[in-house]
Amino acid sequence: MSAEDSNPAATPTPCEDIQGDGRWMSMHNRFVSDSKDKEPDVLFVGDSLIQLMHQFGIWRQLFSPLHALNFGVGGDATQHVLWRLSNGELDNISPKVVVLWVGTNNHGQTAEQICGGIMAIVQVIKNKLPNSRTLVLGVLPRGKSPNPLRERNADVNKLVQEAVSSLPHASFLNVDPGFVHSNGSISHQDMYDYLHLTPQGYQVVCDPLHAHLKSMLDKRAEN
Amino acid sequence: MSGDALNPAAVAQSVEDVHGDDRWMSQHTRFVQECKDAEPDVLFVGDSMIQLMQQYEVWRELFSPLHALNFAIGGDTTCNVLWRLQNGELENIRPKVVVLWVGTNNHQHTAEQVAGGILAIAKLLTSSLPKAKIVVLSLLPRGERPNPLREKNAAVNEFLLSWLPRLGRAQVLDVSGDFVHSDGAISPQDMFDFLHLTQTGYRTIAKPLSDLLLQILDEKPEEQPASLI
Ligand SMILES: [Ca+2]
Repeated sequence: MSAEDSNPAATPTPCEDIQGDGRWMSMHNRFVSDSKDKEPDVLFVGDSLIQLMHQFGIWRQLFSPLHALNFGVGGDATQHVLWRLSNGELDNISPKVVVLWVGTNNHGQTAEQICGGIMAIVQVIKNKLPNSRTLVLGVLPRGKSPNPLRERNADVNKLVQEAVSSLPHASFLNVDPGFVHSNGSISHQDMYDYLHLTPQGYQVVCDPLHAHLKSMLDKRAEN
Repeated sequence: MSGDALNPAAVAQSVEDVHGDDRWMSQHTRFVQECKDAEPDVLFVGDSMIQLMQQYEVWRELFSPLHALNFAIGGDTTCNVLWRLQNGELENIRPKVVVLWVGTNNHQHTAEQVAGGILAIAKLLTSSLPKAKIVVLSLLPRGERPNPLREKNAAVNEFLLSWLPRLGRAQVLDVSGDFVHSDGAISPQDMFDFLHLTQTGYRTIAKPLSDLLLQILDEKPEEQPASLI
């Protein structure tokens, strides 16, 4: 048995419809169907932090002009994104860049396991889209005050940054502009529930992300 | 109607910090603090449906100008809202109207229990804020296709429509009617994940809600007895 087989974060898993309204599978099916009519240059994949970005003005302002699609699902952990990407969401598109932002919902898993999950997603993208580059965004700190999940997320970022450094098709971007203030607290002006970003929080994350994406797309155009 | 004591949806309960970042209590503590500094005319209370509204332009356009506070936490059930309101979120404030929107997260409870939980919150509000009017928003349909949770939420709304008016000062604003298309589908243009509203979805409900709030805030105190009949 390989290490990945025993890592729940790296095992493709559909989200169980515990509540009974089938919303998760509805979203996945919609993404698969969206991918058949669109030709995105940039694909955003991940959890609610990706999903909510799509709902605010910042998306139309910065990312729609780049021909971007958004496949974010609230609550997703790495194993759920892994399942979605392995089951149709990448089959009809060939984006130049895939932006991946996931991991903060992998509760009960270690930083090593979560990094393994993220790297398994990077590998699936590589297999399905050999000409694309994956940009992995660092998971953000969370909680109003210092807490174990902040430390775990910071550990995930260190491990992922190291793991992608040797890969020509993937890179890591820390998009935390410094959400933790000098007194250790995170402001609800940036994260309204100390996890999800406000429009103001998205602005400071997305401006540098947009510049980074533009430069990745421009470099590709030169080659 | 089941007695509150027997209804698990009417039992006050804080949220256990299972993930370990204490976000729920941090939000509650912030709301209690806000009560000390603010003098809201309108208080919004509930779950993510209320919480997310504050992140859209519609909040600044229609509700901030009414001197509104937003005490909502994503994932909250009637039990969690009840606990928050009993533990400081109503202290030091005298809003003229409270908008309550909660219940779609009560997955462990029957429709009758959920409605009983909402009624218990409305009762607490009327007794803690003797002059405030209570506006309860009906639960929205959810899921892309017809499913049991849509039926449950519709049943909750039926109970609310029959029970709430008995409280006096409380009324249901039915905002649930505009989201299910003739083919039975809910559009991601209205609910991006078939539960939470987009900016467009919020616009659909914000206008009737804003109109009702303006009407209530305009009422002179001596007109109130007539409006209760
Ligand atoms: Ca690299």
